Amino acid sequence: MLLRVTDLDVAYGPAPALWGVSLAVRAGELLSVVGPNGAGKSTLINTLAGLLRARAGTIEFDGHDITRLPAHRFCAAGIALVPEGRRLFATMSVRENLELGSLLPSARTRRATSLEHALALFPALKPKLQSPAASLSGGQQQMVAIARALMCRPKLLLLDEPSLGLSPLVVQDLFAAIRRIGADGMTMLLVEQNVATALQIAQRVYVLEQGRIVAEGDPQSMLARSEIRRAYLGSEA
Amino acid sequence: MNRRVVIALLAGGALLALVPWLHLPAFYESILYLVLHWVLLATSWNILSGYSGYFSFGHGAFFGAGVYTTAVLAGKFDWPFLATLPAAAAVATGLGVALGAVVFRVRAVRGELFALLTLAVTFVLATIVLNTPIDGGPGIYLSAVPVPALAPTQPGTFYLLALAGAVGSLLIAYTVQRSRLGVGLFAIHDDEDAAEVMGVPTYRYKLAALAISCALAGVAGGVHALFISYVTTGEVFSITVPLTVILMSVLGGTRHWAGPAVGATLITALLYAFTKGDLALAGKATTGAVLIAAILFMPQGIVPRLLKRRAAAPAAAKPPPVAIAPMSAPALALKGDTLLRATALTKSFFGVQALAGVDIEVRRGEILGLIGPNGSGKSTFINVVSGHYPATSGGIAFEGREIARLAAHRIAHAGIARTYQVPRPFAHLSVRDNVAAAAMFGGASLSASRARAEADHWLAFTGLADKADVLPDALNLHQRKFLELARALASRPRLVLLDEVLCGLNPAEIDDAVALIRRIRDAGTTVVFVEHVMRAVTALSDRLVVLNHGQLLAEGAAADVMQRRDVVAAYLGTAHAAEGH
Amino acid sequence: MTLPSATLLAQSALSGLFVGALYGLIGLGLGLSWGLLRTINLAHFAFTFAAAYLCYQLVSSTGIDPLLTLVVIAPLFFALGCALHWLVQRFEVTPLNSLLVTFGVTAIIEAGIQAIWSADFRRLESHYAQAKFKLGALFVPVPELITLGVALALSFAIWALLKHTDLGKALRAAALDAPIAAAFGVNQRVLALLLAGTCAALAAVAGVCLSLSFTLAPSQIYAWVGVVFAAVMMGGLGSALGPLVAGIVIGVSEALTMAVTAPSWAPIVSFTLLIALLLVRPEKA
Repeated sequence: MLLRVTDLDVAYGPAPALWGVSLAVRAGELLSVVGPNGAGKSTLINTLAGLLRARAGTIEFDGHDITRLPAHRFCAAGIALVPEGRRLFATMSVRENLELGSLLPSARTRRATSLEHALALFPALKPKLQSPAASLSGGQQQMVAIARALMCRPKLLLLDEPSLGLSPLVVQDLFAAIRRIGADGMTMLLVEQNVATALQIAQRVYVLEQGRIVAEGDPQSMLARSEIRRAYLGSEA
Repeated sequence: MNRRVVIALLAGGALLALVPWLHLPAFYESILYLVLHWVLLATSWNILSGYSGYFSFGHGAFFGAGVYTTAVLAGKFDWPFLATLPAAAAVATGLGVALGAVVFRVRAVRGELFALLTLAVTFVLATIVLNTPIDGGPGIYLSAVPVPALAPTQPGTFYLLALAGAVGSLLIAYTVQRSRLGVGLFAIHDDEDAAEVMGVPTYRYKLAALAISCALAGVAGGVHALFISYVTTGEVFSITVPLTVILMSVLGGTRHWAGPAVGATLITALLYAFTKGDLALAGKATTGAVLIAAILFMPQGIVPRLLKRRAAAPAAAKPPPVAIAPMSAPALALKGDTLLRATALTKSFFGVQALAGVDIEVRRGEILGLIGPNGSGKSTFINVVSGHYPATSGGIAFEGREIARLAAHRIAHAGIARTYQVPRPFAHLSVRDNVAAAAMFGGASLSASRARAEADHWLAFTGLADKADVLPDALNLHQRKFLELARALASRPRLVLLDEVLCGLNPAEIDDAVALIRRIRDAGTTVVFVEHVMRAVTALSDRLVVLNHGQLLAEGAAADVMQRRDVVAAYLGTAHAAEGH
Repeated sequence: MTLPSATLLAQSALSGLFVGALYGLIGLGLGLSWGLLRTINLAHFAFTFAAAYLCYQLVSSTGIDPLLTLVVIAPLFFALGCALHWLVQRFEVTPLNSLLVTFGVTAIIEAGIQAIWSADFRRLESHYAQAKFKLGALFVPVPELITLGVALALSFAIWALLKHTDLGKALRAAALDAPIAAAFGVNQRVLALLLAGTCAALAAVAGVCLSLSFTLAPSQIYAWVGVVFAAVMMGGLGSALGPLVAGIVIGVSEALTMAVTAPSWAPIVSFTLLIALLLVRPEKA
């Protein structure tokens, strides 16, 4: 187990957002967390990235207890975040955004190779390296956000709603890229609204509802459960 | 309008007017004058800057204009002092309006830039006054000007004049806050562009607030000129006035009419409590320390903090629900004719053509889907039609009327409303007040009380009724998007433009939203919506328009358009085309 | 009104250059603080003057070279700047409210200065004061030249740091989106404290330079506020070179106006330029 979360309680503002959440991610797998809006998916991912502090429970990563680790140490621990809504450094260039992904000494020394690797994955970014990040289209920005996280040389990649606001064609390419990253051996935790695609791409799925894990299993068995289908696939099911 | 506040202010003023007859030492009467003088100045500043967020560093200019008007008229032209006061107000107002008429037209001059510009104006005005016969250098002496005998002593007279000014300014600030102008200014404070597109006549309102602010500052200046009896540009136009009024207002609370008065009283009292000799320095240091402590522990200002304590009182009884008449049937009867026609519509940003000459027709009563890759111009189309940006060229006819380069608030009044892709609620207004503002300023133009009832109706329609009293930041993304929707609908538009309202919702929630949008159309509002969620697009759209690279790629019935090879290649991708989603 | 000679104009422009460089030097820390830390630090001016007075005192008491006083003064103000920003962080003070808090600090420092050194004018006496040399037909005073040199060096150094080093990028990123910067390893809190300390140290440097050329009085603190804010806003918040360029533009236009008309007309050219710039091309500001 690369990541083990036990009985996590997180409050978002005054209201509690996660109750007794436990999950585990194996090295090399792509895990997806689905659930309705307001279920706490973003809260979960932000806590795993260090942006939020848990009130109770533990987070164990790669053998270390990181529950009380300060936010800026999560990258060094080996966890990188692709935030919801991209959240690039808008006025800085694409290259600078990518360089910021590799500030840590360990990542810094391998910056050049990491950059090459990122551009091999997303060749569309090559002509845009000097452009300010805000001038890129939504899909290209998402690529930069993923590449920035990869520059960190992480052991675990957290993806928060990467397909949000993107056109279907772009989403296709995006998930193809995510599959490739997974094939290279990266462990990933994906939070996605696009349930159909999430089920296609993940090896295991957790269902989060109102701050609690209510179901867990592989995608096929998820689809087989009619209440899951109805709730998350709606009339499409 | 709360009668009690008005009566309390007038009664308080009347009571305080008796003070000169207490025959206090002149020193104390002067201090009381100063307190009221700063109450007047700070309150006047707050009417524009606190309410609308346009922080002016130039209040000294308008104050100084008032000072010098009185100084010149009374000191050099022997006008009777009281007659100079209306003139002082007029000159200050004229200056302010002339400045505002130009500056408020320049969209980018807000925030720090507006502060800088107003500061620069102060320096320019000071220099002109100093170097022209207005002052010329030596300053102006007013010691020969007779002080009207309104009170037993001279300081007492000034006290009474300042009292009248202060009470007047408080009444005006209170009235503005509760009026339509006030709601508009608070909306401008939170998001001026959204307010303008919603229907607030932002230019006019800012000018009005500026005019009121300047008039009051001018009066304060006129009175002060005689009080100090020797006027120099260095003293009058120094940075002390603008800085002090900002401090007093922020300390007391800028969102409340009484905030600046509280701040002014506190700071003036503190400063002058220590005026005797050696304690002056200690006084200054203490004032600084008090200021720091107050801001650290009461960041919203003193008055809001005090009011929060009292807010444990039970909520006011809700007004009985008012029956809302549904949209009149004639709208449906005319179904099918052209509601909106865009012709050769072009919009460029810094040489990049976001829209390159598109022709789009929207028919009354339909749901038109607008799809295309990111950057194809869909949001730009909505921005241009709603008036958020002016079109570079081309025309837009709405119900036969050309709206292409109209001010956004006029477009709102014509009957067009929109939602924003990233929700832009007014952060300091409650959910209900957000929607009520739209009902007040949009096409429906309702009164304040009817607007609140209308807001409750639309909150119920979008499922936000139980969140009516919270602030928007307590809502999650889905709820904020629906708040956008409620706000757009509250202005009773004939055409509503929805910008990615469904993004971020899961499939079950999308089904609910689709049903909601259908009900909106059935009630008589034509819908144009931009979406990427193809399920919703196919379920809802009567017709589809596909944009690519700012140009029209395809147009027609949904099923036909989605089959076209060029649309599939540019936008849909094989997954959707193959599975026929 | 006869036009003055070319030499006089050139000399005026030169003196405008020098005073403009000081505007820029004072504005450097102020602009960085405003742009990168979201703090409108009015106390920056109080720090500048406090450092100027301290330098005056140290030179008067011990006779050492004014520039050497920086060895003591700069670290002292670095610590002060850190402390002030720690307070701002701890209470999550908004940019607007930072104006008030720093105004409070200014009032306290001003009162302190007046308590120690009285309201009388003070002038630093050093071997720099009278030093000047001739460049062609122009006189170049040494203290002002030192100020120009310091301003140029520091502005360029900081510009290079912000643009090309990882530290600079981390600072800029933290100003744009602190939580995400943290997610990539930027310890925003510590960086902010270091930056705040640096800005205060820059104020101290400006103060020492100021003491070389100007007479000191507590009332003078506010005289610089308007024009330096103008230079900062014109040059761009968070910019390292902007305030210097803008300061020089303001200084030179003031000086030339003074040479051609009367000294009291000085502010009009620069501020009218500023107003025109804001109305015509506000995005540039």
